[in-house]
Amino acid sequence: MELRRRLLRTAVSRPGVLLAVSPGTTRERLAVEAELVRRGWPCVSAPAEADLLVVLGGHHAEESDGDAGSDWAANLWHAIPAPKARVPVRDAGQVAEALDRGLAELRRGEPPQEPHQEDDAHSHRGEHGEHGDHQHGDHGQHEQHGDHGDHGDHGHNDNSATHEGHEPGPHEGHNGHVDHDGEDRGHEGHNGGHSGDDANSGHDVHSGDDGHSGHHMHNGDDTHSGHHMPGNGDTHGGHDGHAGHDMHGAHGGHAGHDMGVVAGLPMADRADDRDGLRLDRLHVPLGPALADWPAGLILRVALQGDIVQQVSAEAEGSASPYPPFWDEPWLRALSGERVSHGEAARRLCAAHLDSLGRFFAVTGWTDMAARFRHVRDRALAGADAAELRGLLRPLIRRAERSRTLRWLTAGLGPLTAEHARHLGVTGPALVADGDVHARMRVWLGAAWRGADECDDTEALDTAQVIGPRGRVDGPVPASLALLDALPGLLEGAEFAGARIIVASLDPDLDELAHVPAVGMAHG
Amino acid sequence: MDVAVFWVLAVLAVVSGAMVFRFDSMARATFSLLTSLLCVGGLVVLLGLDYLGIVIVLMMTIEMAIMAVFMVMYMMNPAGLMPMTMMHNKRGAAVVCGLVFLLLAAGILFAPWPARRGKSSADPTMELGMSLMGPQMLTMMTLGMALFATIVATVVLATRRGRYDRLGDDLRARRADDPVRGGVGR
Amino acid sequence: MADSAPLWAVFVLPVLLLVVALVTAGFDAVLTAGARGGRAGSVREAAVRAADPAREVLRQLVQQPRRTRASDVALARIGAALLPVAAMLAAVVLPLGFRSVSDLPEGIVWFNAMEALAWAAVWLAGWGPNSTLSLIGGYRFLAQGLAYELPHMLAITTAALGAESLRVGQVVDAQDGLWFALWMPAAFGIYLLSAMAMAFWGPFDQPAGRDVAGGAAAELSGADRVLFLGGRWLLLVVAAAFSVPLFLGGGYGPWLPGWLWTVLKTGAVLAFLVWVRRRVPTVRMERYVELGWVVLTPLAIVQALVVAVVVLNR
Repeated sequence: MELRRRLLRTAVSRPGVLLAVSPGTTRERLAVEAELVRRGWPCVSAPAEADLLVVLGGHHAEESDGDAGSDWAANLWHAIPAPKARVPVRDAGQVAEALDRGLAELRRGEPPQEPHQEDDAHSHRGEHGEHGDHQHGDHGQHEQHGDHGDHGDHGHNDNSATHEGHEPGPHEGHNGHVDHDGEDRGHEGHNGGHSGDDANSGHDVHSGDDGHSGHHMHNGDDTHSGHHMPGNGDTHGGHDGHAGHDMHGAHGGHAGHDMGVVAGLPMADRADDRDGLRLDRLHVPLGPALADWPAGLILRVALQGDIVQQVSAEAEGSASPYPPFWDEPWLRALSGERVSHGEAARRLCAAHLDSLGRFFAVTGWTDMAARFRHVRDRALAGADAAELRGLLRPLIRRAERSRTLRWLTAGLGPLTAEHARHLGVTGPALVADGDVHARMRVWLGAAWRGADECDDTEALDTAQVIGPRGRVDGPVPASLALLDALPGLLEGAEFAGARIIVASLDPDLDELAHVPAVGMAHG
Repeated sequence: MDVAVFWVLAVLAVVSGAMVFRFDSMARATFSLLTSLLCVGGLVVLLGLDYLGIVIVLMMTIEMAIMAVFMVMYMMNPAGLMPMTMMHNKRGAAVVCGLVFLLLAAGILFAPWPARRGKSSADPTMELGMSLMGPQMLTMMTLGMALFATIVATVVLATRRGRYDRLGDDLRARRADDPVRGGVGR
Repeated sequence: MADSAPLWAVFVLPVLLLVVALVTAGFDAVLTAGARGGRAGSVREAAVRAADPAREVLRQLVQQPRRTRASDVALARIGAALLPVAAMLAAVVLPLGFRSVSDLPEGIVWFNAMEALAWAAVWLAGWGPNSTLSLIGGYRFLAQGLAYELPHMLAITTAALGAESLRVGQVVDAQDGLWFALWMPAAFGIYLLSAMAMAFWGPFDQPAGRDVAGGAAAELSGADRVLFLGGRWLLLVVAAAFSVPLFLGGGYGPWLPGWLWTVLKTGAVLAFLVWVRRRVPTVRMERYVELGWVVLTPLAIVQALVVAVVVLNR
């Protein structure tokens, strides 16, 4: 047993760390990432490979305990296989201690007590269920469905399958459905079209399924899915519940309908694809727990295969009392403080390097991503202009000269200056006036200039306050315009392309989450 | 040894073939069929026709992997998640199956199988190839081209967008107008 | 002429492959850590970094396997386990020096068939967990397969054509004088591309890409994950090692014994691939498939034609 314990200790001595980042916690995230590099711990991208969950910005977790805001972090926790540990990081200063605590907990090797232990069945489901489509996501749903309480686990998925409209309220099924009808060319036609099928395979297995399932469903564990039923119209009556009973029922019968629920998960519905075929379509929320993803961003996408058909962007709702980290120097200058030009330039440089790190991580150029992040950490640690220039020059040259990168990113997500201006975009995306590759080049240039000027001690000129994402003093946050630009660019893109487009705009949701609290200028 | 391998493969092939109709998931059914076909490939190797056997393994793996996608895609059952059944028109199918089985069994039992004359050749693959292709090379080439032309023609007929949609009426557009840009642009 | 190795070679082969895979992964890990945190300060630090893959294996082995809701566990497990098995089976025809475990008369087709099992494996691993991201990963590999397989088959056929045999040993013997890489450079280049593509690694890592949180591997944990990702490294090693008998003259070389030449050449190919990975972003199939079919396939056919003409006139 001693050997066994020692093996376990060695095994977890270098845990895989999964970050749960909320908006408003950029400072903490950067501190954790730098600390992980120092320790050589891998920063993983999925709960399946994680040991240690680091929840950033726990400051609002306690206040909103019952609230759905941190629910996705809880789901993430359920999805991590044992042995596992969870540590909150509330302050950039105590990152090292927090990680040490997490390591100690892992080494003790006993399953940690969960803060609020749910009943068995439930946590079981959480563990098995919430990933894949959901792991990264459905969490956001909870906000709107606060009223659904905590059995959201299966329920909200259904909702995501039904609605795109997101009007809060218990009957979203309705809204969603109206929406649907538009693209689905009506459900009636559908049913008609498939009744042949139903007859075919339905009867020899099990007949009269409709009535049958009607009974089951409303009391089964799928009561939840009932929510979108009204929207489905009476013909669709009882199908959702069907899944509740086991794998036998009259499946053929089901096949015809757009939505059903299997094991508490929604089925795909169908829609025309771009070649005129009628194929499956999945409604998947992306974010907020994806790696290399803007913190707090939730995209509700309708995916067909890996083609994004519809998108709506929203921000995970937790408000942060702290000013957005990347805009901080400009905000301080605006509030009358003296801020040196160099400080702002350094922050701008680091912000762009952070975005570039993400961009290269998503394009799959991990080596470049790692190098840019290394320079970013150096910039934030206060390296002088000469060192930064020395580090950056070869990177920028390599990125600009890479033909493969140009070949792969050219023509992705084109955003003309005219359209950008119309959307209210003021930052690099406006300057770039082009595709993903053009935006990357603008970042490279701006990061270089920032690195160049980062030792400048003159006071920052408050006449024009352009932060990393755009105007800091505008009526609405610059990132909001970027969010508005997203759906138009993403529709029709393939999944990988969509991720690259999001990374190339990199909206900073800290700007949206910032709610200045009384008596709290900055943190 | 060979006998043992034969029986193992044969039983596995039949069982997994039958399982195709027992599984209620498209993915399982497809890969059960693949298992069956791989076993058949093994049996062909056992007959001494290594090349054919290995080619069966190669082609069937790739084919069934692609097939899985299409089967899932065209099923009236979104995502293949919902349990389904592979059995339709049971009575008719049973009759057809029974008849075919009887026919084949009768063929096996009543055909006058020739006795072996001479020795098996050192390279049966070569021999088989020569006897299939040797005198009929031209036929085979023509057949190959015809099959290929059929594939191309089917795709051309099925596709909704032709080159005029992609490259403009005079085919002079610099970039093809595709929903998702390709790597070469033509 | 290649001889068949004794029976114990069957047991040595997996060990050898694992060692090469671990060394390659360690080398890769050193470079990765160097890019993120600056160059290693001391040899000791570099050694610690090089041991990362081994520790990673240990870390994941102690993790619980997990299941997602409504998953098809059996299929996912089969998929994960099939990958290393396919790599090992493909390695059977690999000659170390001039000896392979079994020098099948159709070794090249055998290699191709075993490598194609990865198609099924990755799709199964992606489909099984019933999760969107892993499913996308699984489908991506099929798209990738369709893009790389055609030029790949033509490239290895070209090598077989040059030797007028499908037997790997004879392909090696045919390169006693001139390596195939030198007079069929296009086929060699295409082979190297597809070696990375079949192991879905490096610039072709889309099926397990970070943008889909690990893709086909996204939901695998514990031993399943070790098998799947380890199988991927094995596949890479085997694919890289197979380029040596096909194009780089196998065990032929001056002064040193044949087996050492094989190891050295394999090491060089792997080092090259690890280097390439650092220079190139992930190739997305929507772009590559067009390149593969419109440029690489005709190129491979022309290469095969040239070789055929040369062989006929020999």
